[in-house]
Amino acid sequence: MSKKSVVVILLVIASLALMMAPVAAQEPVTITWFVGMGTGTSDQQIEAENQVVADFNAAHPEINLEINIAPSFETAVDTISTLIAAGTPPDIVGPVGVGGSNRYEWLDLKPLIDASGYDLSGFDPELLKLYETNNGGYSAIPFAIYPSVMYFSRDLFDEAGLNYPPQTFDTPYVMPDGTEVPWNYETVAEVAKILTVDANGADATMDDFDPENIVQFGLNFQWARIRLMWSDIQPESTYYDWETGQASLPDSWREATHWLWNGIWTDHFIPNRTYAVSDAFGAGSDNVFQTGKIAMAIVPLWYTCCIGDSVGNFEWDFAVVPQSLDGEYHVAMDADTFRITEGSLHPEEAFTVISYLLDEAVPLLAPTYGAFPARANYQQAWIDSQSERYDWGVNWQVAIDSIPYVNPAGAHHESNLPNWSQVYDREYALQTLMEGDTGATMDVDAELDTFIADVQQITEQQ
Amino acid sequence: MASATYSKTANTSPYYSVQLRRFGTTAIITLLAFTVAFAFLLPFGNMALMAVKTPEQITASATGLIWPMEATTYNYDGKDYTVYEVPTEDGVVHEWALINKGRQTSEFVDPANPDAGLIEWTGNWRGLNEVSTLRPHFENFGIAWDMLDFPLLFRNTVTIAVVGMVGTIISSIAVAYAFARFPIPGKNFLFIILIGTIILPSQVTLIPTYALFSKIGWTGTWLPLIVPHFFANAYNVFLLRQFFLTLPRELDEAAMIDGANPLQVLIRIIIPQSWAAIVAVGLFHFVFAWNDYFNPLIYLLGKPDLQVISVGVQIFNYQYGPRPQLVQATSLMALVLPLIIFFFAQRTFMRGVVITGVEK
Amino acid sequence: MATIDQTGAAAARDELISAAPRRKSTLEQQQRRWGWIFLSPWIFGFVVFTAAPIVASLIFTFTDFNLANAEITFVGLKNWEKLFSDPLTLTSLGVTLRFAVLAVPVGILLPLGLATMLNSKYLFGKRLWRTLFYMPYIVPVVSTVFIWQSFLNGQNGWLNRILTMIGFNPPNWLQDERWILPALILVGVWGVGNAMLTILATMQGVPTELYEAASVDGANAWVKWRNITLPMISPVIFYNLVLSVIGLMRYFDVPYILTRGTGQPGTSAYFFNMHLYKTAFTYADMGYGSALAWLIFIVSMALTIILFASARRWVYYASGD
Repeated sequence: MSKKSVVVILLVIASLALMMAPVAAQEPVTITWFVGMGTGTSDQQIEAENQVVADFNAAHPEINLEINIAPSFETAVDTISTLIAAGTPPDIVGPVGVGGSNRYEWLDLKPLIDASGYDLSGFDPELLKLYETNNGGYSAIPFAIYPSVMYFSRDLFDEAGLNYPPQTFDTPYVMPDGTEVPWNYETVAEVAKILTVDANGADATMDDFDPENIVQFGLNFQWARIRLMWSDIQPESTYYDWETGQASLPDSWREATHWLWNGIWTDHFIPNRTYAVSDAFGAGSDNVFQTGKIAMAIVPLWYTCCIGDSVGNFEWDFAVVPQSLDGEYHVAMDADTFRITEGSLHPEEAFTVISYLLDEAVPLLAPTYGAFPARANYQQAWIDSQSERYDWGVNWQVAIDSIPYVNPAGAHHESNLPNWSQVYDREYALQTLMEGDTGATMDVDAELDTFIADVQQITEQQ
Repeated sequence: MASATYSKTANTSPYYSVQLRRFGTTAIITLLAFTVAFAFLLPFGNMALMAVKTPEQITASATGLIWPMEATTYNYDGKDYTVYEVPTEDGVVHEWALINKGRQTSEFVDPANPDAGLIEWTGNWRGLNEVSTLRPHFENFGIAWDMLDFPLLFRNTVTIAVVGMVGTIISSIAVAYAFARFPIPGKNFLFIILIGTIILPSQVTLIPTYALFSKIGWTGTWLPLIVPHFFANAYNVFLLRQFFLTLPRELDEAAMIDGANPLQVLIRIIIPQSWAAIVAVGLFHFVFAWNDYFNPLIYLLGKPDLQVISVGVQIFNYQYGPRPQLVQATSLMALVLPLIIFFFAQRTFMRGVVITGVEK
Repeated sequence: MATIDQTGAAAARDELISAAPRRKSTLEQQQRRWGWIFLSPWIFGFVVFTAAPIVASLIFTFTDFNLANAEITFVGLKNWEKLFSDPLTLTSLGVTLRFAVLAVPVGILLPLGLATMLNSKYLFGKRLWRTLFYMPYIVPVVSTVFIWQSFLNGQNGWLNRILTMIGFNPPNWLQDERWILPALILVGVWGVGNAMLTILATMQGVPTELYEAASVDGANAWVKWRNITLPMISPVIFYNLVLSVIGLMRYFDVPYILTRGTGQPGTSAYFFNMHLYKTAFTYADMGYGSALAWLIFIVSMALTIILFASARRWVYYASGD
């Protein structure tokens, strides 16, 4: 036994050594593109990305584009950090959102834009503001925008005999008794309770409703971090004051937190963590709306990436987001783009790649990313491709109509503050505490006070 | 209870009684093992069942039966509708397809008689039972196999595990031999350092090590996953040293007197006596390499052709649409090889992992 | 008794050779040279893959090495001082130590119990049982997390279905601050395979003569286990105790994947190594991250030394006098 296995093992080593023969040096400049900080790691997306890389390399012999796709979103931050720490940063990172961008340093694109005469006129100026740096440069060029919209299940509204939520702005909601009420969070709570049902068929407005056995929920802020929920319910820009270094929690966010807490623990129309990760609602993925057991979900437009399972199971549509606490419409918006890392050794070639990704590659990437193109000329094609996928007549106009209501860059729900990623994690600790089991008995105001004190401390850290 | 009664009645023959008592004890202990194993492996049941479900079945079994049941549907007007057991006032339970759901009344159609049109029914449809049949989706294994390119991942994982195993066996034997047999000055101190490296959190060395490998151009290859194992591993050295210490020295010395050098002693005398421990070390390494997640993740980034199973399975853990059934199907497939090896090697393995004291 | 004598004799002779050279010193020099040759792989590997990185990381603790900033400047003891002012350091160290207090007894008693059961001469189908109990050890960690997440879910998990069926009112394990650590212990039960095997193997190595002698004296099974098995296998229990404490100080994968790196709910599952990892990678502060790594290294070292010191009192060495 021993001698035979030794021989086998030696053969394996030998063949391995052969496989590792040195690779011939390449002439063109190699640019690495790291994917995974946002969307982009699912199998269909990888297929599209590889196609883009092949197309690009065929058209640009002087550049060799290499793609690094993190195995999952969870591992992406760690992998890119390892790459940067070891002094081997990727040249390009993306798609990456506003929040993910706060983690690292990016190259100022202004000189490259000026040098190449890059045309920025195809973009909304307000959108460009999101990427303006303090010293007048641009940290990125927009790729895709995702206004928040309300996704609702037609099936569940039909089943409950309720009217659909409004699909145009400044339109009231018609209650079952015919009364017209403004479409705000009060109305949403009202409707959501009717749409929350237990195993016996009782809804959350009834006395015999059993909160331990809920099979259908009225509302969910899917995958939203608490600051996004706050910004949905009432956007504010005063979370952190750069001038004074003071962190403060606006009163409206306190009110919004109470509204959320009531929705989870008193009125039960928002799923708590236990429900949200149960097998009945997506087996731990938090992709609860896709199960068809959530009546309304307020999510940015990118969610079209990830409700493929609805096809053939239930029909959903868009409604406008409810009016915020101040009685006005405010739309929180996510935005994705590709960025060049500050440590890139070949910024010019990287810029060539980025220009390609933001333009020629859009038709390939945007549909699979669920990415609504920031360039106006690509938008209709995107809508057409999505209508083909979700073929029951979704009202895409709602998303386009939402754009004028988008929050200003300063009030963005992932806007930067010192030690952003630590604050981000502190926000999530607050959120999980509220959504987890002990949330039922927590003192909301006391927790918020602790929270903001912690944020103050984190922002002061060097 | 039963065995006790039997042994009393069979008291006339002492031999018979011993046999029976032995049988009774065997039954009790085996039953105990079965019970403990059952509890221990219950999550495995969940795993195996999940591997053969569709996402819809996973959702459905959350509230209903745990088995992969599939609802019977009926195609009406070009759409599939679920069939329910619907009781009516006359006491008959019909199998009707639910077309329009409602809170007070719902509309059904009778698949046996679709031309009769929609039947209105008053009651809560959520209280009705679906008509369903058992339908496990074994094709999940095939889907996972194709989507992952399982043979490729499998080959990669086996190669990395086996080559690393060879490296760790050869180097650990040499080092353990040095610690067990040679009068090296400061040996005890060195041994304490060796054991100390076990305590070291890998995070301490991660960044400098990664930087080193990336400097010499090894990232994106298997070398960082294999080469370090050719320089001995503290656990393995410890285990082998303990084992070597139990071997009598007389044989070594006899061979030395016959003119053998220490290398020849190692190969001719020590190794043939230590197969059990060597198998144990090999198996430990194999299982370690098989499950190693973080190192392949960072060192093989961007090289899907070189990637291993534990990382490859992540593709199904995609945050915005994970497919737990495929994660489980892949994991079950990945279990097969190490389990077979373990099953057949365990006898030797068990002889090899005897720990005979630590402080020597 | 034969095996014990061999071990003792071998060790004794080992001492003898190194302590009292009898022949010419050339032979010993030759022996030493061979020793160094055999030792060289480890020496090389230790220097390159362990010592050098450790020194590098020790140097990092005195710098502001930071991903966002290419330049490295020395900041003195700032990172070490921060260990005491950072509230999350204390929180996460607390989580790790609390968990260790819960997990160490389970990590020793459970494999000990399983090994005792598997060592019974009356057990039928040993190979099968051994394989079954070892099996979970081979499951990839991502898969383990998925399974237990589903198994422990408060709404639909099998465990709570069973507990409810037999009349309990079970907690929502993973969503309850008070139950998340016990839940992680349950997940950890799947990792006892290795400890079980080493204990079992050592039990099988206990000379049967000892049991026979005890039987003659009329000892029952419990007395035999307590007075013969347990002392004879105390070295392997000690070995596993050390490994388990060290492993718990490095505990990371399962809570990291299970909570998506957040340590939720709240910070109740925010283990020290998650804090270390997040500081170094997510917060990109390598300098402070290295200081955290050194802290846990020092804590592990201290615990190990305490364990070794205690070993003299209760670990039985066959070779001892």
